[in-house]
Amino acid sequence: MKLKSNILVCALLAALMLPASLLAADATEYKLELAKAKATLRDAESKVQLWSTSEILLEDADKAAASGDYELAVKLATEARLHGELAVATAEREKKHWQKNVPK
Amino acid sequence: MKRFLTACFLFMLMANVYASPETDRLALREFFAQRFPDLDLNEMINGLYAFDEGAREQWLEMEDFPPYEIAIEEGEEIFNTPFANGKGYADCFENGGIGIKQNYPRFDADSGEVITLEYAINQCRTDNGEEPLPWMTDELAAISAYMAYTSRGNKMSVVIPDDPRALQAYESGKEYYYTRRGQLEFACENCHMQSAGSLLRADRLSGMLGQATHWPVYRSKWGEIGTLHKRFRECNEQVRAKPYDAQSQVYRELEYFLSYMSNGLEMNGPASRR
Repeated sequence: MKLKSNILVCALLAALMLPASLLAADATEYKLELAKAKATLRDAESKVQLWSTSEILLEDADKAAASGDYELAVKLATEARLHGELAVATAEREKKHWQKNVPK
Repeated sequence: MKRFLTACFLFMLMANVYASPETDRLALREFFAQRFPDLDLNEMINGLYAFDEGAREQWLEMEDFPPYEIAIEEGEEIFNTPFANGKGYADCFENGGIGIKQNYPRFDADSGEVITLEYAINQCRTDNGEEPLPWMTDELAAISAYMAYTSRGNKMSVVIPDDPRALQAYESGKEYYYTRRGQLEFACENCHMQSAGSLLRADRLSGMLGQATHWPVYRSKWGEIGTLHKRFRECNEQVRAKPYDAQSQVYRELEYFLSYMSNGLEMNGPASRR
């Protein structure tokens, strides 16, 4: 009976730990997110729209990854990617609209 | 007939997309004439002091002992010091470099580039075997200040030659000026046209007209004299856009557009600002 309950507890603990281990960020996930962020920021830069606040996020992400904190590293890289995406969106919108502000 | 109509249509389309620089300049003057009907537009070379009487009085008092005076003297001394090869800055410029700032930036047909005065100063150095000065140094700003001083009273006369590359450079500068950018999504136009004369916290915003006539500037905030490109960088930082290097192509083209818009206005550099 005792053995049965021990097995049950172990199974429960394993079930609880499994998603956490699946969700925890690792070096591979960080590298993927970093590559995406860098590509988006390059795109923003080519459109003369890079923000001054984006690249520093990647520097901080690199430091976090170097210290083994991949969760933070992924979070920062994702934020940098979002910066890039917003900057590109501004570039695309402004390309169509900037002329409207020129006095005629 | 069909070809003729197509050509006419294309011409009208192009004319609509690319107004000539002169049409732009006149429309800009009209914009400010309507925006500030009681203001003499020639006063806009004085930036925010055209709008703010109290600040203007303080500024005029400061002009009794202008903080940029030392830079003019230093610039004159450097300007007149020969290079190692015996030549000098005067040999690189028309009229010996005196009273010519109103012609800059200019378009160089050989290189296809926009040449600002600071860019030309460094070209002069490298052509004579000297090391170029770093773009953000006091020394470069001082030479520019001296040359600006000798140009006081002349009228801004920037030329966009009949060369598609020059027009493209002008258009790129114009697009930059009117495009929102940075995390705060501000265009130069938002502050210096829409909000010109308004207060931004404790500072009154200058208008676009005349913004290129008075550089370099001694800014109390900087505690030193600096070039227009230093100010471009600061503006970019304020809206959280990544600034470009001073004398980058982007900024030279922006200066080209901005200066052309001030054509006909009196040169009054160097100047002092808060």
